[in-house]
Amino acid sequence: MDTVKNTKNIPGDQQLGVLYNDGKVRRRREWRGFKDTMYDFGQWLHLWKIMLGVSLSKGFFKGLFRYRWMINYLAVPHMIDKFTIGQRDETLRITHTAIGYVVKDVAVTIKRCLRGDTRCGNDKAFSDKCVLVDENAMVSYLMGFPGLTVVQREVPPMFSANLINQNSAVHYIDVAQTYGIPGDVCPMPETEAGISIDDDFVVMGKCAVQVNTTCDGSMLGNSIIAKRLEKEYGIPAYQMASPLRHRNEDVQDYAAEEIKGAIRFIEEQTGEKWDWKAYFECAHRVNMTTRARLEWLDINSTPYPQFFGAVFSLYNDTNYLGNCGRSTEFPLIDQKIMQLVHKGYERRTMMGQEYRHRCMVWGVQPQYVIDMLYWMVLCWGVVPLTDMLSMVIEREIAETDTPENREQAYYDMAYLSENMIMRNHTHGGYETMVNELWEYCERMNADMVMMWEHMSCKSLVAMHGQFEEQARERGIHLVWVSHDLCDPRVYSRSAIRGQFSQYMRAVMQEEPLDPTIEELPDDLAW
Amino acid sequence: MRDLKHFLFFEELVCSSNNDLVRKAKEQGRVCAAFVCENTPEPLFNLKGCFGVRLTAPNTGSTDIANYYMTSLLCETSRALLERAIEGGYNFADCIIAPDGCTMMNRCIENMELARAVESGSDAFFYEHMEIPMKTDENGVALLVRQCRNHILTPLNRTYGIDISDEAMREAVRSHNEVCDLIRQIGEFRKADKPAITGYEFSVIVLATYVCPKDLLVEPLRETLEELKTREPDEKGYRARLLVVGAEMDDPEFIRLIEECGAYVCADRYCFGSFPGREPIELTEGEDVLTQICRHYTYQCQCPRQMNMDKVYARKAYVDALAKEYGADGILYNQIKFCDPWAYERVTGAATLREEYGYPVLSVDRPYNIHSSAGQMRTRVQAFVESIEVKKLREAR
Repeated sequence: MDTVKNTKNIPGDQQLGVLYNDGKVRRRREWRGFKDTMYDFGQWLHLWKIMLGVSLSKGFFKGLFRYRWMINYLAVPHMIDKFTIGQRDETLRITHTAIGYVVKDVAVTIKRCLRGDTRCGNDKAFSDKCVLVDENAMVSYLMGFPGLTVVQREVPPMFSANLINQNSAVHYIDVAQTYGIPGDVCPMPETEAGISIDDDFVVMGKCAVQVNTTCDGSMLGNSIIAKRLEKEYGIPAYQMASPLRHRNEDVQDYAAEEIKGAIRFIEEQTGEKWDWKAYFECAHRVNMTTRARLEWLDINSTPYPQFFGAVFSLYNDTNYLGNCGRSTEFPLIDQKIMQLVHKGYERRTMMGQEYRHRCMVWGVQPQYVIDMLYWMVLCWGVVPLTDMLSMVIEREIAETDTPENREQAYYDMAYLSENMIMRNHTHGGYETMVNELWEYCERMNADMVMMWEHMSCKSLVAMHGQFEEQARERGIHLVWVSHDLCDPRVYSRSAIRGQFSQYMRAVMQEEPLDPTIEELPDDLAW
Repeated sequence: MRDLKHFLFFEELVCSSNNDLVRKAKEQGRVCAAFVCENTPEPLFNLKGCFGVRLTAPNTGSTDIANYYMTSLLCETSRALLERAIEGGYNFADCIIAPDGCTMMNRCIENMELARAVESGSDAFFYEHMEIPMKTDENGVALLVRQCRNHILTPLNRTYGIDISDEAMREAVRSHNEVCDLIRQIGEFRKADKPAITGYEFSVIVLATYVCPKDLLVEPLRETLEELKTREPDEKGYRARLLVVGAEMDDPEFIRLIEECGAYVCADRYCFGSFPGREPIELTEGEDVLTQICRHYTYQCQCPRQMNMDKVYARKAYVDALAKEYGADGILYNQIKFCDPWAYERVTGAATLREEYGYPVLSVDRPYNIHSSAGQMRTRVQAFVESIEVKKLREAR
């Protein structure tokens, strides 16, 4: 592809390596020119305001001393710095707007967890209106329950904690392995099982709904969690199955019946009744989100992509999974981001000095823990157009309340669940995992694929040879980058970056744009 | 004990996928439907003019080519099957039908398909991938019915003209049950204090029923059953009776290794074992046959992929019931290395059976071919057997 050069002056720090030392945090904050530094500082203050709000919430201090994962949240500002490195103008504002809302959403989840937790806030009336869901569940089956609160109980101790501190999962992985679970399973469900074995989840909720997303390990790990919920805390758990070969027509009736089963269970347990008006309002908002995301992807297929990187994926995760149209705030954030994206595109704003390669990021990614995608742009001029986890819902669902649409709604909810982030490509046969990658490469005008090879993800690594052969046939540069998700002891950050740099030097024979960040001393950083 | 008359015959059958009986059935012009996973309704492959062979890769050595395609981090069963397919070991098959049971087995068959690993020499050869239920309920039964119709029956009928009528299915179930009855009767001998059959012999015989045309096995099985009735058991006793629980285990050498350590494998709850795979299918007149077959497979399934919690608890209760029925002193939970579903099931099963049911439990992972790591396994089983003996001595005091 032709290199796209940034013709604008990039104010502030040019050699970003000066920001790093061997410590937990950076040597100093990045200088981005006066205007952008002030904006960044304002966002930093806003972040502390959110964190202060959490600290004033019911049960906070009890939770701080009861749960070892709580302490990770002191490092939230460091996470934001990780995701905004080198950014200026619209890209900086897009990232801050999106990640700011993700942080707010997690803060709300933590508040809810601590408020309802029998060990902390112990607000029973509130807890009885809460339904626990998996951190990786698309909560479509809760779109018609406006009176209930969805609590992704696994997000604060596992998912978001790991965004903030790369070592947050290590203790729980060790707990799970001491219990006997082998070290070769995916560390994510293993961590969740470890948290349950360690009894370090909050105890709350009227009932729980578990799903078989995303993988065999996740599904089996749930049984450890459900057993503790049911046997020790008397919280009943329903298991909702989503078909694996989800593109097949002959599994959709099964999927729709499973949705009906989950709704029936929630009605029985909570006494709430399904509200079609609320459902279709949520459906309308889900469609707005889908339209916005597809438009961002369209812009990313041009020479001037705007909204990409780890935050693009994180924002989609938050918007679709735990929210799924239930929040009235997300469409406003979508609109705000859209305005910035349009403005950035018109002004040809770029994230780095130049874009040498257009890259699809595929596979199961650890990019939340590491600033890899931004580093690729800044160090090597490789722009990550989009990633596998962001390629989710492609079609709109019925949003008008009619008798036919009420029946269709079960299939739509099933469609949302089946196409949940990640599992829509790790399941569904090689068509979704392998073939669609090449289709996306064409659609996004990509000449390179950065393949996250999550060594414990059996679904992905089982296609290793096919990816190799088919990429070669198509003339696409395929860069394998191995990792073990949330266990940095297996692959450290520098080992992960090193694999990419090695390819760029040895195969592409290119030199870095910013040599000061080719190797970063951040293995000990949060 | 004196050798069983047909035992060498059975042993030779399980040493190759393309064994004598498979070749004989092919010579008779029958269609060979190869399949994987215990959750695939077997009788549907044994309709008239057709026979099913569950894929195995006996005596697997290196899996270098499969490692390239699937990396060395996948379960060895799936890698061994892919390697064997690439070597040409399944070229006798006329189709391969696989459920999306576990991810790795699914990917194994997908790799075979993409790599065009099976060269049957016929344009009619096809692959089918089917969904199978993840819960024990009627919604799951309805799913399995649709899947069997769309991915087994219709392709077999359309491609090879196989009769898929209710009568044909009823006959296939009758034939299936005949083999199951014989296996169950042979298995009953394991309940005796001095059993007339070893666990190893039984595992070979059962395995043969998965990898051969069943109708060709009926006579040898019947004669073996008669022979067992008068067979003199060994005077030499065993040190402990073990129930072996686990996933895909098509390596009788693993059972032999356990018995060489002084144990007796009195019951087998693994995916190539007799529980639950050789439980007969009861048919009634009031409902269509396919639904009844699918209901049997949905409800009898002991696979950890069945995720509803009542089934999760029931799987442990099932093991407990088997242990009681067959008088097991201890339970050996095993998984094949890198298997995700059994990684969890082994741990939770072992913990539950130990803590809630009070059994001594050995929990191990193993390679596909036990001979690649026999020493380590032998040490662990020996120690386990000793610990059971010590426990018995303490109790006797």
